[in-house]
Amino acid sequence: MKYSYYPGCSLHSSAKEFDISTKVVMKELEIELEELQDWSCCGGSIAGGVDHNIGMALAARNVVLAQNQNQDLLAACSGCYNKSAKAAQALENEQERAKITSILTDMGMSVSNQKIKVRNVVDVLVNDLDIAPKIKKPLTGLKVACYYGCLLTRPADITGWDSPVFPMSLDKLAQKCGAEVVDFRSKTKCCGGPILVPQEEVAFEMTKKLLDEAKSLGADCIILACPLCSNNLELRQPDIEKKYNVNYNLPILYITELIGLALGIKPRKLGLDKHLVSTKPVLAKVS
Amino acid sequence: MVKKKCFFGIKTDRQVDGDKMNAKLSQEVLAQGGENAAINACMQCGTCSGGCPNAERMDLLPRSLVLMVQRGEWEKVLKSQTLWLCSSCHTCTSRCPRGVRPTDVIEAVKAIAIREGIKNDSVRFNQIFVELIEKRGILFEPELMLKYGGLKALVDQAELGIKLTLKGKLSPFPPKVKEPKKFSEALTKAVKK
Ligand code: SF4
Ligand code: SF4
Repeated sequence: MKYSYYPGCSLHSSAKEFDISTKVVMKELEIELEELQDWSCCGGSIAGGVDHNIGMALAARNVVLAQNQNQDLLAACSGCYNKSAKAAQALENEQERAKITSILTDMGMSVSNQKIKVRNVVDVLVNDLDIAPKIKKPLTGLKVACYYGCLLTRPADITGWDSPVFPMSLDKLAQKCGAEVVDFRSKTKCCGGPILVPQEEVAFEMTKKLLDEAKSLGADCIILACPLCSNNLELRQPDIEKKYNVNYNLPILYITELIGLALGIKPRKLGLDKHLVSTKPVLAKVS
Repeated sequence: MVKKKCFFGIKTDRQVDGDKMNAKLSQEVLAQGGENAAINACMQCGTCSGGCPNAERMDLLPRSLVLMVQRGEWEKVLKSQTLWLCSSCHTCTSRCPRGVRPTDVIEAVKAIAIREGIKNDSVRFNQIFVELIEKRGILFEPELMLKYGGLKALVDQAELGIKLTLKGKLSPFPPKVKEPKKFSEALTKAVKK
């Protein structure tokens, strides 16, 4: 199977390890990724709240690029995935399609009737592939908290492959890797990502609750699939520690990094050295 | 006008200010992507407010906000802090038993509020965010921080910036799409329409 792979802004900057590990793991599992040529930002959760048509056009642009390649679009970032899937749905609606087409035509693009699917890496990993026989180094003894956040599974009429209320796909993947999954009750609670900058205090409080619970459950790390969540949970972890005078030192790993480790791939090849909160305690537990 | 009395009293956020109602609001919400939000299906059950992670900080809970949009209470809605506290988490939309999409309603109202000239930090940030994407098609975060928070933000974030650079995660060159000019012009034209 071959996909048009859409990395998005974050995977080429702050979430480089997500990009690296996705490519390495997919290659190991014999899935071919061809980077979507000339992709652009999906507009995230923000653009639509400034102007609906701009938000739609930004997200739809990448879907149309994949349509023109006649390949399903595969996104790793939960946000890029969610917005692209929403745009693919909007393209099916006559009114929305007309508005989007007019903007994209001005950009010099042609909008065809080609039908493609928008997929997320987690969906493909859990529903299309069987990683179990390929596990070379089970992560026995590692305790992980799987965090889904919002856009990976909500709203269900856009995503649809896992429960929006009690998702299990990351848990299942981590279990297949041999890790012990803790009962993380906040797994679908929002980290406050989209409001982090203008409402920092609120977002910090939301993120803190997640770190508190994961820590209290004795998790060695949090596993996720969203660079925006990781931005709050990892990059801003020191700021939250300082503000509330607490100490977490909790590694935050992408699901593809966890799977890569279990597949026996070297940590450096997965980008584990690129984290700001050191992943060494995790590696010490599994080696 | 005779004031109707209510035995239990009605919370102020649910009182109807007839003179401030404006049917145009509902229409504009529809135009800003609210067509599929099923606003009129709301039965005021409050499930959305119950699951909202930010409800405790909001002046209008998602349920009341949907009601105010239904009634066209322009002023209350546009002035509400709820718009800027909502983190678009879609919990309300996932749980609504009537298929209403409060997340989409709020998104639409935010866009209207910006057009109506509401000003605050969230508006400024969101506008700069979109402006920068319109410019090159791909977000360059240091530029976003500089434009939003000025030099102070850059200084505050310097430590993080240095760490990211050392990890090879921050390039000094802003990425861009192949034809930024065409990209940008098409979007600018769309806003003017
Ligand atoms: S959950 Fe749905 S029906 Fe109930 S108050 Fe909220 S929007 Fe209305
Ligand atoms: S989308 Fe907004 S209103 Fe709805 S539950 Fe989340 S934060 Fe609350």
